[in-house]
Formats: sequence, structure tokens, C-alpha cells
Amino acid sequence: MATPEWRYDTAQDLNQGMVERLRRCPREPDMLVYGLRWAAAFGIRATLRGLHRLKIVGRENLPRDGSFVLIANHTSHLDTLCLLSALPWKWLHRAFPAAAADCFFTRSSRIAISAAVVNALPFDREAHYRQSLNLCKELLAAPGTILIFFPEGTRSLTGEIGEFRPGIGAILAGTDIPVVPCHIAGAFEAWPKGKILPQPGRLRLAIGSPRTYAALSPGKDSAHLICRDLRRAVLELAAVHRTQ
Amino acid sequence: MSTSIAVQTETFRVYVLLTGGLLLAAGALLTGLTYILKRNVQSIWTTYRGWLVMVPLILGCIYAGRATTIVGCTLVAIFGMKEFARATGLYRDWWMTGAAYLAIAAVSVVSLAPDPFTGQPGWFGLFAGLPVYAIAFLLMIPILRNRTQGQLQSVSLAIVGFIYIGWMFGHLGFLANSNHAYGYLLYLIFAVELNDVAAFLFGRLFGRHPLRCNISPNKTWEGSLGALAVSLAMPWVLGFSFPHFGPVQRILTGLIVGIGGQLGDLSISFIKRDLGIKDMGEVIPGHGGILDRIDSLIYVAPLFLRMVNYYYGLW
Repeated sequence: MATPEWRYDTAQDLNQGMVERLRRCPREPDMLVYGLRWAAAFGIRATLRGLHRLKIVGRENLPRDGSFVLIANHTSHLDTLCLLSALPWKWLHRAFPAAAADCFFTRSSRIAISAAVVNALPFDREAHYRQSLNLCKELLAAPGTILIFFPEGTRSLTGEIGEFRPGIGAILAGTDIPVVPCHIAGAFEAWPKGKILPQPGRLRLAIGSPRTYAALSPGKDSAHLICRDLRRAVLELAAVHRTQ
Repeated sequence: MSTSIAVQTETFRVYVLLTGGLLLAAGALLTGLTYILKRNVQSIWTTYRGWLVMVPLILGCIYAGRATTIVGCTLVAIFGMKEFARATGLYRDWWMTGAAYLAIAAVSVVSLAPDPFTGQPGWFGLFAGLPVYAIAFLLMIPILRNRTQGQLQSVSLAIVGFIYIGWMFGHLGFLANSNHAYGYLLYLIFAVELNDVAAFLFGRLFGRHPLRCNISPNKTWEGSLGALAVSLAMPWVLGFSFPHFGPVQRILTGLIVGIGGQLGDLSISFIKRDLGIKDMGEVIPGHGGILDRIDSLIYVAPLFLRMVNYYYGLW
């Protein structure tokens, strides 16, 4: 009788260099990268709490299991770090902040930081927009994925909340994936677009109630409806921040 | 071994000049082929650039002393184990992979620690018996995790990885504890790489009969025998590396490098063929992965150390 064959699950990125491996998404797990991400997350959380006195409200709204999407207003690089810091440590490597591929995935140094430190998902806003949306859907189909998404598509230059682009609606329409609206206050003042380094300043993160759009059929109208609903939810959280 | 001893040791100085001279000559040859004869040797340039990085790193580690040599070997073994784990899928079992890394780190600790009975550098008794403890440790992982499914495969791969890449390659680091460390280390690394080059060149020039067609289709008996002849001559050509060696030890050294080097190469080759991959990684451009580069040394280093220890002892 022949010896039964073992099943070898070789890494998909075996013959790729480190930069190419980091450029991929989803990435194969790597102890070195995970260790670096843990250390960076520790430093980031300590800095946000110490230097920016980050206050998080509504953490109990985060779904306990399954995949979900976190969306927020976008005025600063600090936004991603705030949202990541709101997540439990055990979810660190399962959270994928969507990052503009044309900005964060062009130079090796930026790829290394984006992918290794924050586990960024390269999102192509122009030529391969559809493929990027499909990648988000694929990731969310795997259990326990957290997609961090800024529906405005770019950092606001004024600090005001801009219009939401329909991509987030296309991801969520007709699915039972929960989306959690969030609002970040103080990030624009601390590190606006154009500044090289952040300034000390108070940050507040409000996490709203999760919602799903399973009843909506996929399509443009649903996508726009979802965008409007989510923007309204973020504005409501912003209003709460203002009254405080 | 230390920086000051390295500078005073003629063996070290000769190898620095020898490797430096060979790199310069190879660079000049490649330049001639590229710019005068207009040959396309781009892939050889890539391999050459790999050597330009590796040779100073190896010489730097040995120059810096015993501890850096042992730690350097351990780092190479850990990254080699990482390649093996990624290639076989073992790395998806983090507990087992982590345990194998720890066991490899233990090789380093035992190599650095002094023998408590003799006071000599390197605890050779524990080093020799380390596989017993490492295997016992690796077998504990499924028990501690209360897991069964796929655990035989995981444990087996971790044991093979530790023994082959961690412990056997760890013998190279342990040689740094010897009184003749410079000669042994530099000779082994130089002769093993020369054996590889000789097999390639003889195979290219005279190769007709496949050596092991299913494992490595490009290797030939002619290349293999040519490399063996070169390796048998090298202990006399580079005899200054171990002046205390008699003819028997020199012949054995030649056989270990000449046959062992090629068996090491073929061992990694059959693992790669079974896994269906071409290279173990892409860490060293032009060379493939770390395991593709050290495959021969993994096989040769422990056999050489055992032979030396049998005839002369390490200290």
C-alpha cells in the first residue's frame, strides 16, 4: 500500500521579494511582520493616549464576531490610527484599512509602513476601482475581517465632512455585513493634510450603532442611498461631539 | 576568535585576499564579457552581485569573532527554517513553527555556553544531545494544545526542519569554538561553494549522463565527478587551513565536501520537487532562497565536524 500523500499548503507568495509580498492583499501571515505590527500598534496606542488624549466612546457598538466595516470621516492620517486603536488587540491582523494605492503603494518605504504597520489594503481609486471593490468584498466574505473605509475617498481639506462616494454602498448593498459609522474629532487640527508631522491635540472617537443593508438590492440607487444614510449617521455623531 | 586574533591569523588574511581576488577577477571577466565580447550575462551579474554582498557579510561575521559567527549561523538557520516552513505550509501552524524557532535558538545558546565540565567554549555534550530535547519539546506542542488533526504532519515537518536546518547547519556555528576555527570555517565555506561551481562548470563542459534525472535534471555524472576531483585536490591546495591534517583526514575532507556537498544539494532539490516549487525563496537575488544557497553546507558541516572531532577533538 502506498503512503498517503501529505497536503502541502505552500505560501502563495513564496517566490516574491519582501516588498512584493507586502504589496499583495490579502497577505500571507508572517511572524516578523506581525511582531512589527504589534510593536507599532503598542507605540501608536501609547502616543494617541499620551500625546493626543484619545477618548473613545461607544466601543460596545463594535460587533463581537463576524466580519464588519468601520467607516468614518477623513481629515487626517490619524483617523486610521484612531480606528485601529479602538479595536481589540486580537483583531489587529484582521483589520484592513483601505488606503489609496496611488499614495501608499508606490514607493517601497511607504509600502513597508502601510502594509507592515497598519495592514493597509491597496485601494485603486482610478483604473482598477472595480477590482478594489471586489477585493474588499472577498476579504469581508472571510469570517472575522474588519474593513476600515473612508467613504469620502480622500482627506478633507477643510475639516468638514464631504460627500460619500458610492463605493461603500456597492460593497454593502444586499449583504448582511454590519457597518459601524464613526466620527473622529480633533484629527484635522492635530494633523491636517499638507503637514509633515502631527501636533499634540485632543482626539475623540465616537462609535455609532451598527447597521446592515441586506434588504437593499445591489445597484447604483442602493449605493447612493447607503451613502446618504451613512453620512447622516456620521454627521449625527459629529453633532454629539460638537455639543460636548 | 576575536577581531585582533583574526587580523593576526594568517589563514584569515589569506582567505580575505583569496576571496577578494576571486571576486575582482570574476568582476573583470564579467565586465569583459559584457562590454568587449557583448555577451548577455545579465543573470550572472545578478548572481555576482549576490556574492558581493554575501562574501563581506560572511567574512565580517567571522572577523568579528566567535559569538557573531554563531549568532550569524543561527540567524541564517532561522531564516532558512522560515523558508522551509513557508514552502511546506508548516508556517500556518504558528505554534509548531515558533517551537522550531525556539529549538534553533537553543542550538545557538548551547554553542555559545561554556562546557560546565571542561570550561571549553561551547557545550558539546549538550549540543550533540540537543535533538533529543528538541524532539521531546516539539512532540509536546500538540499535547499542550490538545490537537490531533494534521499534527503528525506538523510535528514531522518541524522535526525535519529543526534537525536538518537548525541542528545540522548549527554545526557550522559550533566550529567557531574550535582552536582551528578560522581554517575550518573558511575552508568549509570556500570549498563547498567551489564544489558547487565546479559541478556546474564540469557539467556544462562535459555533461552527458544525468545524475538523478527525477530530482535535478541538469546535474550530470560528469559534473559530479569533476567536482569530486576538485574537492579531493582542495585539502592539499588549501592545506594551510588545517596544517595538522594527515593524508587520511585530507582525503576524508575531500570526500565529505565532494560527495556530501552534492548530496546536500540533491536533498533540498528532492524536497523542492516534491513540493512542486523551483526555489525556496527570493531572498538572495540570483541565488534563490537561503536554503538554496546553504543546501550543501547543511550536509557537509556536521560530517566535517564529526570527522575532526573523531581524529583531533575540537579544542
